[in-house]
Amino acid sequence: MSISHPFPCAGSRALHAPTRRDFVYGLGASLGSVAFSALMAEENIKSQISDLKSSSPLAPKQGHFPNAKAKNVIFLMMEGGPSHVDTFDPKPMLNKLHLKEFTREGKQKSAMESGKRYYVRSPFKFIKADKSGADMAENWSHLAGVADDLCFFRGCQVDSVNHPTAMYQMNCGNRFGGDPGIGAWVNYGLGTLNQDLPGFIVLPEISYPQGGAANWSNGYLPAHYQGTPLRAKGSPILDINPPEGITREHQRANLDLIAKLNQKHAADHPWHEELQARMDSYELAFRMQVQVPEVLDLSKEDEKTKAMYGIGSDATDAFGRKCLLARKLVEKGVRFVQLYNGTWDSHDYIERAHGNRVRGVDQPIAALIKDLKQRGLLESTLIVWCGEFGRTPDNGVRGGTQYGRDHNPKAMTIWMAGGGCNAGHTIGLTDEVGMEAVEEVHHVRDFHITLLRMLGLDDNKLSFYHGGRFKQLSQFGGKVIEKLIA
Amino acid sequence: MIGKAPLIALFAASSLHAEDAELLFVRRIAPLFQDKCLACHGNEESKIKGDFDMRSREAVLKGGESEKPGIVPGKPDESPLYLAVTRQHEDDWEPMPPKEADKLYAEQIEWIKQWIAGGAPWPDKAKFDAITKANAEKWSAEDGIVVKTTGALSDAWATRKYKPEGLWAYQPVKKPAAKGIDELIAMHLPEGVEPAPAADARTFIRRATFDLTGLPPTPEDVEAFVQSSIKDPATSTQTLINKLLDSPHYGERMAQHWLDVTRYADSSGFANDYERGNAWRYRDYVIRAFNSDKPYDQFIKEQIAGDEIDANDPEKLVATGFLRMGPWELTGMEVAKIARQRFLDDVTNSVGETFLAHSLQCARCHDHKFDPVPTHDYYSIQAVFGTTQLCERAAPFLKQENTQGFEEKKYLEMRRKEHEAMLKQLDVVMLKNAETWFAEKKLDRTAWDTAVINARKFVEGGGKGGKKGRSFTGVFETARNAMEKQGVAEDQYPPKLVGFTPEQFGNERVARKGLERLKWEVDRYEPYALSVYSGRTVEMKAVLAPLRMAPDRMTNGELEETCILPGGDPFGKGPKVSPGVLSVLAAFNKTTSIEFPPEIEGRRTTFANWVADRHNPLTTRAIVNRIWMWHFGQPIAGNPNNFGSTGKKPTHPELLDWLAATFVEKGWSFKELHRVIMMSEAYLRSSQFSVQGSPLQREELEKFYAVFKPRRLTSEELRDSMLSVSGELNPTLGGIPNRPEINLEAALQPRMVMGTFAAAWTPNPLPAQRNRRSIYALKLRGLVDPMQEVFNAPAPYFSCERRDASTVTPQVFSLFNSKASAVRALALATRVTKETSDDAKALQRCFALIYGRDPSAEESSACLAHWKAMTAEQSKLTFKADRPLLEVRRDAVEENTGEKFSFQEKLHANADFVPDLQPGDVDARTRALADVCLALLNSNEFAYVY
Repeated sequence: MSISHPFPCAGSRALHAPTRRDFVYGLGASLGSVAFSALMAEENIKSQISDLKSSSPLAPKQGHFPNAKAKNVIFLMMEGGPSHVDTFDPKPMLNKLHLKEFTREGKQKSAMESGKRYYVRSPFKFIKADKSGADMAENWSHLAGVADDLCFFRGCQVDSVNHPTAMYQMNCGNRFGGDPGIGAWVNYGLGTLNQDLPGFIVLPEISYPQGGAANWSNGYLPAHYQGTPLRAKGSPILDINPPEGITREHQRANLDLIAKLNQKHAADHPWHEELQARMDSYELAFRMQVQVPEVLDLSKEDEKTKAMYGIGSDATDAFGRKCLLARKLVEKGVRFVQLYNGTWDSHDYIERAHGNRVRGVDQPIAALIKDLKQRGLLESTLIVWCGEFGRTPDNGVRGGTQYGRDHNPKAMTIWMAGGGCNAGHTIGLTDEVGMEAVEEVHHVRDFHITLLRMLGLDDNKLSFYHGGRFKQLSQFGGKVIEKLIA
Repeated sequence: MIGKAPLIALFAASSLHAEDAELLFVRRIAPLFQDKCLACHGNEESKIKGDFDMRSREAVLKGGESEKPGIVPGKPDESPLYLAVTRQHEDDWEPMPPKEADKLYAEQIEWIKQWIAGGAPWPDKAKFDAITKANAEKWSAEDGIVVKTTGALSDAWATRKYKPEGLWAYQPVKKPAAKGIDELIAMHLPEGVEPAPAADARTFIRRATFDLTGLPPTPEDVEAFVQSSIKDPATSTQTLINKLLDSPHYGERMAQHWLDVTRYADSSGFANDYERGNAWRYRDYVIRAFNSDKPYDQFIKEQIAGDEIDANDPEKLVATGFLRMGPWELTGMEVAKIARQRFLDDVTNSVGETFLAHSLQCARCHDHKFDPVPTHDYYSIQAVFGTTQLCERAAPFLKQENTQGFEEKKYLEMRRKEHEAMLKQLDVVMLKNAETWFAEKKLDRTAWDTAVINARKFVEGGGKGGKKGRSFTGVFETARNAMEKQGVAEDQYPPKLVGFTPEQFGNERVARKGLERLKWEVDRYEPYALSVYSGRTVEMKAVLAPLRMAPDRMTNGELEETCILPGGDPFGKGPKVSPGVLSVLAAFNKTTSIEFPPEIEGRRTTFANWVADRHNPLTTRAIVNRIWMWHFGQPIAGNPNNFGSTGKKPTHPELLDWLAATFVEKGWSFKELHRVIMMSEAYLRSSQFSVQGSPLQREELEKFYAVFKPRRLTSEELRDSMLSVSGELNPTLGGIPNRPEINLEAALQPRMVMGTFAAAWTPNPLPAQRNRRSIYALKLRGLVDPMQEVFNAPAPYFSCERRDASTVTPQVFSLFNSKASAVRALALATRVTKETSDDAKALQRCFALIYGRDPSAEESSACLAHWKAMTAEQSKLTFKADRPLLEVRRDAVEENTGEKFSFQEKLHANADFVPDLQPGDVDARTRALADVCLALLNSNEFAYVY
């Protein structure tokens, strides 16, 4: 047959290079918003930016499936690889096999998984939680109270055994980094509701995860879809404040001089539309310097709410703050919020290490679900809990008897809440020791496609022309995991 | 469109005659089903989706899960198959094929409609073949051409047809008989469009200087050029261009372009992000190559096969650093063969994109979907690298290399000592904890005590035991190893890291891994090159230290036999392939047959010779397309890394060929091509243009080169220009990477690498070391200078064919609020205050340095007024001296225990830190002038080049 068209329908999609009108605001670009206009009037800056709102790349857009329930995502990334067999996927068989030794060799095996191995039972007791009877290790005592809101998925598989490559795959679809994060795709597809805040916000740990900021990259998508980390310590956004001693008035005066210089320049180059975008970005930045700290300020939340999230208790304070902030951000219309918690990479002492990790997140996450629910936001907010892979039922000889687990890309547990997920169900199955998913087995790309679908986006349509071909989150397409959706 | 006319004629009738419908089936429908449907609906019986089988008329009529017939002959509008492919009936019929990118074109949908309307005939095989045979010649003339390639996985693919316009890049370069660039541009200029006149001298010198050096012209250069241009514009432009091409900064600027394409970084990426201590030598090689105008064919050969060409020339070994530019590592977590395959895939695609403008990875798992690149070609090219082995290879430093500043190694030595001291201290702790352990377990410790005594003797005597590659093995570990060797049961002696607190676990790991990481860093000062060698593949488990050349490279290890890997699976086994090249080129070009040597060595040389052949149309077009883009901000063919049929077609194909031919004629000389391009009217043209009255939009005017397209400075140009105008820039060329001051919080941001935390970013102690051009800044994949990142510096994961220049708000934070900008503004203010005698002159000097012009009266009064107002403001301020941190507390979660821990990291180099100019060093008047300078440096006129 004849290859009559190199690719279908290029004209209907945004090409890579932004056109002149595609001004880019990245961090909040609300040029027509009421508040911003008021501010502009107040400060008496003349500007002709009124018609830009609709052309802002972050303006809210209709998805492909308008009936989708989820509007926002809170993505809880448990960096390091939580062990499914110690959290939500009990394996009684491991009690029988405990410390049974075996040897694994071969060219298809890594150094980590080769040699003398032994099975390790879970140190945690399991319960059947809530009405749905979901399997949970009993130390998830708070989460157990909302188990009926959760949909567990045991069928996911990934390709990589290494943290950063697995993280990249979970976050961006591609193992090797450099592709857009899910949050970037979702903003590309749906825009964001609050034009004064970034549409994709990341709340990382104090230490960045392996693979670094590439985990929330805009990749080849235009820069305004990039995840903005609100740093856990110090300045939330780098250089959001001017050097010490420079007052707001002082800075305003400097800005006014820039505006004057720019006005003359713009008058000399009336055809150069990018100039205006750049001028606007200075005003926006000036405004954000006040706005962002306001958003981050949790002091106005009532004490009861803070206590519910575990704020103020040593173990739960850090993640509790993140969860509460996530709720605030979603309320403010931020499309996609990703929270990091780590490290779950428990190669040794699983009882102690995982015990501590669970203690740190259990209460805050349960509080987040309850809080969203009581505010009527859970239906429209999809919560995802996952790591980059699961862990092995066995361990290598690691110099003593420290029971831990290695990385396992073939089995893991992901759960979702809200956003129209199939709450109260457990989908998929792993084998009797939890080494490999055996039922409802899906590559992570299918999970990504499902996530997009729950937000009303079709992975096949959500593509971007780059480097001479259309690219998409799933890389090559795949299918929706229907059972995860209610 | 070929073949369209007769079909349109056919469609004119309301429905086809049965015979025509049969013809349509054979010619269009059957191949269409094969291509778009059967993968899920018949080819694999066990995997038929939706229970809908499309292999026969009967099956289609039967339908699938919906239990409705797939087609209703004669009634396309009632046929689900038709409704599905239209994608207009989503509520009833899921759009097919499912992927948007695979959807049928209007023409194909029409074929299905007509075929169904014509009764959906399905001739049996005999009739099918007869029809095919009878019409073969006619159809092939109408439908496009078959392209001969090697080793297609299927006949259908091998005989598929391509539209000739999608094959432009494989055609031989034909030099048009035109006088030059302008004629070839004029021929595409729409009627009625009068191109803009030449830019004024002031604008032009700024444009040319940034284009060729990435730096602004000095005020003196500007004035001299303006004066000389009045007398003789042509000669003065020529002289300017020659002068700029002779500048050593020319090489830096061009190298930045090249390193964007090759993904240069000083670290490995992924889990460890180990430093690549020797990568800088490749960066400097590229700069030297441009400065010395190394012919491009030689540049290609050296980067692909320098080690084979002359292993005794360090320069050639350094050049092969190109092959190592991709992110790569092998940790114990990964299967070695998979990591090896990652390298092979990376290098295969990289040579394709870089030199041939072909993204070959599309042919890794299957024959290329759109281009005539069979997967066989992919693996043939991969076989070229099947004997290529990674190594940090001995290569003595050359005279022309900058080897200054190696004394900074002392800071690494300090770190080493610190880590060793920590491990020794923890060794004592473990020995003590061991005693408690025995007491608690109530076990006999005699054997252990003996082992400890022996271990202590051994260690104190300078003995180094422990596992291979381990940087430190203390008494405790030596004793444990002895027990293990004696075969004592594991529960009879203390476990490793016995009794540690979270703090101690964390500190042990930081120190041990820190020693491992240092091995990579100290390699920087040793005469090694990030390079490769040809040889057999040695078995490896993990790469934890720089790799050295295997002594028995031709005999030890596996001689890789490359074969097609179905689906790209490293453990798959398809047909064996031999080293080869892109087979499609032979179909269009007369080439001498390419013979690859049967030996281990020489494959890359043969391949490089083919790439660098003057008749290779991909190579020559690819490079001139890039050079053109480096001047005009837009390439002729829109995807410089992809000339395949999905890439954008050249806007000026004749020009592209003319440039390619001229480039080769002029000895593959970059500098000659710059001269030709920069002396063209198109390049000289003004960007100022009144759109009024023009039939074209601004974008179109730029596309046709009727006006010059302005551009924003790149991240490197912004930083370098600020340093240049402030007088702080150290213009020294080359050398080990420097560490400028970056945002302090980013510098100290703890970042996880495998099992530990990477060291903090510690700037060089001296301003002259820090304030070098941005190309020399240490480029870590895991830690990017935030200023560079927000201004669109490409991340080195993928080859960057073209930079973005988007405007995002964080740019304001970086350029307006950062300490770096404040310091540059302050240094500039101090400089002009020193150089001038009064306020007006000082301001004039600022404008000259930043904009290359005088201020207008209005600008002058606004700036002077601001200066005065800010002087009052600034005199209220007091400043503390900026003292660098000597130690930083890092908070993290400890892996063994999942508990929080913190550790102190010493920043040794900071003890010698000499700050840049600080606000407290100058008076309020100068600081207020710095406010003016900060505004100028943030203004649009500074940020754009016209």
